Amino acid sequence: MLSVLGQVSGGPAVAHGKLLFRPIGPELILVGVALAVMLLDAGYPERHHATLALLSLAGLAAAAAYSLSLWSWTGPTTVLGGMVAADRFTVFFRLVILGVAALAVLLSYQYLERADEVRGEYYPLLLFATAGMTLITAAADLIVVFLALEVLSLSLYLLTGFSFRRLASAEASMKYFLLGAFSSAFFLYGIALAYGATGTTNLAGIAHGLTGQVGPLSLALAASGLLAVGFGFKVAAVPFHMWAPDAYQGAPTCVTAFMSAGTKVAAFAAFLRVFDVAFSPLIWDWKPFVWILAALTMVVGSVLAIAQSDVKRMLAYSSVAHAGFILVGVTAASHAGIQAAMFYLAVYPAMILGAFGVVMVVSGRGERGLTLSSYAGLARRSPLVAAVLALLLLSLAGIPPTAGFIAKVAVFTAAIQSGHWPLALVGVLASVVAAFFYLRVIVLMYMQEPVIAGGQREAETGFDAEPGAVGSLGFVAIAVPALLTLIFGVFPGILFGVLKSASIIRF
Amino acid sequence: MSVQEITFVIIAVIGGVSAVRMVTSRNVVHAALYLVVTLAMVGAVYLVVAAEFLAWVQVLIYVGAIVVLLLFSLMLTKAPIGRDTLDNQQRGLAALVGMGVLAGLAFLIQDSFGGSKPITLHQATTEQVGVTLFRGFVWPFEVVSVLLLAALVGAVVIARKDDPAGSRRGPDRRAPLRRGSEATRR
Amino acid sequence: MIRLPYLLFFSAVLFSAGVYGVLARRNAVLVLMSIELMLNAVNVNLVAFNAYLRDAALTGQVFALFVITVAAAEVGIGLAIVILIYRNRETINVDEVNLLKW
Repeated sequence: MLSVLGQVSGGPAVAHGKLLFRPIGPELILVGVALAVMLLDAGYPERHHATLALLSLAGLAAAAAYSLSLWSWTGPTTVLGGMVAADRFTVFFRLVILGVAALAVLLSYQYLERADEVRGEYYPLLLFATAGMTLITAAADLIVVFLALEVLSLSLYLLTGFSFRRLASAEASMKYFLLGAFSSAFFLYGIALAYGATGTTNLAGIAHGLTGQVGPLSLALAASGLLAVGFGFKVAAVPFHMWAPDAYQGAPTCVTAFMSAGTKVAAFAAFLRVFDVAFSPLIWDWKPFVWILAALTMVVGSVLAIAQSDVKRMLAYSSVAHAGFILVGVTAASHAGIQAAMFYLAVYPAMILGAFGVVMVVSGRGERGLTLSSYAGLARRSPLVAAVLALLLLSLAGIPPTAGFIAKVAVFTAAIQSGHWPLALVGVLASVVAAFFYLRVIVLMYMQEPVIAGGQREAETGFDAEPGAVGSLGFVAIAVPALLTLIFGVFPGILFGVLKSASIIRF
Repeated sequence: MSVQEITFVIIAVIGGVSAVRMVTSRNVVHAALYLVVTLAMVGAVYLVVAAEFLAWVQVLIYVGAIVVLLLFSLMLTKAPIGRDTLDNQQRGLAALVGMGVLAGLAFLIQDSFGGSKPITLHQATTEQVGVTLFRGFVWPFEVVSVLLLAALVGAVVIARKDDPAGSRRGPDRRAPLRRGSEATRR
Repeated sequence: MIRLPYLLFFSAVLFSAGVYGVLARRNAVLVLMSIELMLNAVNVNLVAFNAYLRDAALTGQVFALFVITVAAAEVGIGLAIVILIYRNRETINVDEVNLLKW
């Protein structure tokens, strides 16, 4: 950690003597496969859609296998001149993100086929976004944090507008883009101030500089505030959440599923690393700020979700509320807090991705049937899909024996241990409010008759009662997350065992 | 005040005023031209603080490429002229926020560096920048290349005219291309 | 010889002008231009700090180079999205593009 400061004159990367590329292997694989998919698409226009999807899946699997091999990495903790961290924290988040991406590919395949919007550039963009996400979890320098954030954001702006024949998609893309770029500017200003305060952009170097009180402290405080604003935008924390409902509603549902899960995990991984490493000397100064952010996010997200009649919008607000719950774990800032936040970040993507997956399966071609009323009587039309959605919603609501329950208990316990019991109380109350709208959907599915408006049901929902209509791939993509929430709900020890060593952030 | 400071103040006043004019101008083309002036002044500031390479990059990329792109998009979208069409109703609130940000930053600067000594400037040669870039910052450099590639590919996909071409099942995916080549043949 | 606060204040003016522009403008391209202004403010800051800190590693200057590159990519994408919207709606005023509730 201290060596970073000593390397200033020689240029950091050469200080280790050689460049170690192994810890960035997963990203190299992802980008390589993205290029391969692009070339395949360009060279063989008559290729099959399935080939592209399969190749992407293979790439994701290879990257995951490679990440797993880094679990036993014994080399230096940061490589490439202190730019990239090689710790188990990174491996854990990489695996989560790669899993999310793999499920998103399955969903996308079905979505694009159904919507007749197959274009070969979709998968490379998805892989670029994934590479950005995995890279940001490994970033040990604010330069890399920023660039990885931009790689993932730019790819997602484009994916959001991907089904551009739908007006809502283009609109969502524009709103997401403008607000995202605006927040990037704040984030950058924060980085610039952090650099001014400590003379380095290296996370460990910043921590060192702040401990020694070398620079002016107010500058560092402003820097941490601006960085929190930037991260707040990316994780959709209130009051920086305005883009989320629009972007989530307008984007193609498979992209919504991907970004609601992936972006949050990636941004929170960076949030944890930046605030618990770089700004750890200022912990008592940034804590109140994040505290307020967490409380606001939980309450506003839960309350606004009730008012929604569009399922995607409702889930978007639900994901806003969940960002608040994760922030509770971040606020605790203890080892238990990090562990709880990480548990949440492993479980949350499964729940939200599965839920959006079901929404995608239920909504017809061209994104119809997204109102809550189209879920009435779903259990009768398609019992299996309804059961999966019910399970996922219970987990989102935090009802045992699902993983969502364990995750909430973990973050609240960590908060209470750190003396933030009022925050935990706010969280519990917000969960109770939130439970209402999740249960409302379940009630609709199981206890109401399907709405048939003059035989228009088929046309409106585009979903017929045949189980085959779900598509086996689509069903896998929603069944796997549902299973995971159940497994981690009943045996949370599996995950906590892994987290014991993964939650130590080395830098 | 040193020579550099006097030069800087002149540049900064021109840059600052045109920045304000840019965000308040009622004519989109004027706004773009004010942006050019601001960007050029930022480039000049880089020269004053002896960041020579950056100054040329600023002129080449910002003034040269980015502004042209922005002018293109203004032209292609036939942007209208007039305050009501360019500004929204929350102008007052926005001005308040803007002033607030300025006041906050000014306070921060005064608080942190109010009494700091003048900087003795050292020329950073292009060679030094190059060495640093390709030694210490190889990996970010590579990441930027991926970013540009993603942006390039994505922008083409999004902005491409949508015949059914978008879809593989449409009549012919390559239709626009062919039309183009016909035109050149003629 | 130049005093750091001068440089930082210039940057602050650009940044706040940019913030005002983003909030007050309706036209998406003008919003984008305001964002560019904010990014330039960041670059001035980075270069100023680089000079102030006598950072021989030139982190500030190199970072500013990256920011310029990213800004170029952002403008490219912005142009694509704006044209996409314009083709559909014949307007790029952010408050008229309101199929989705804000």
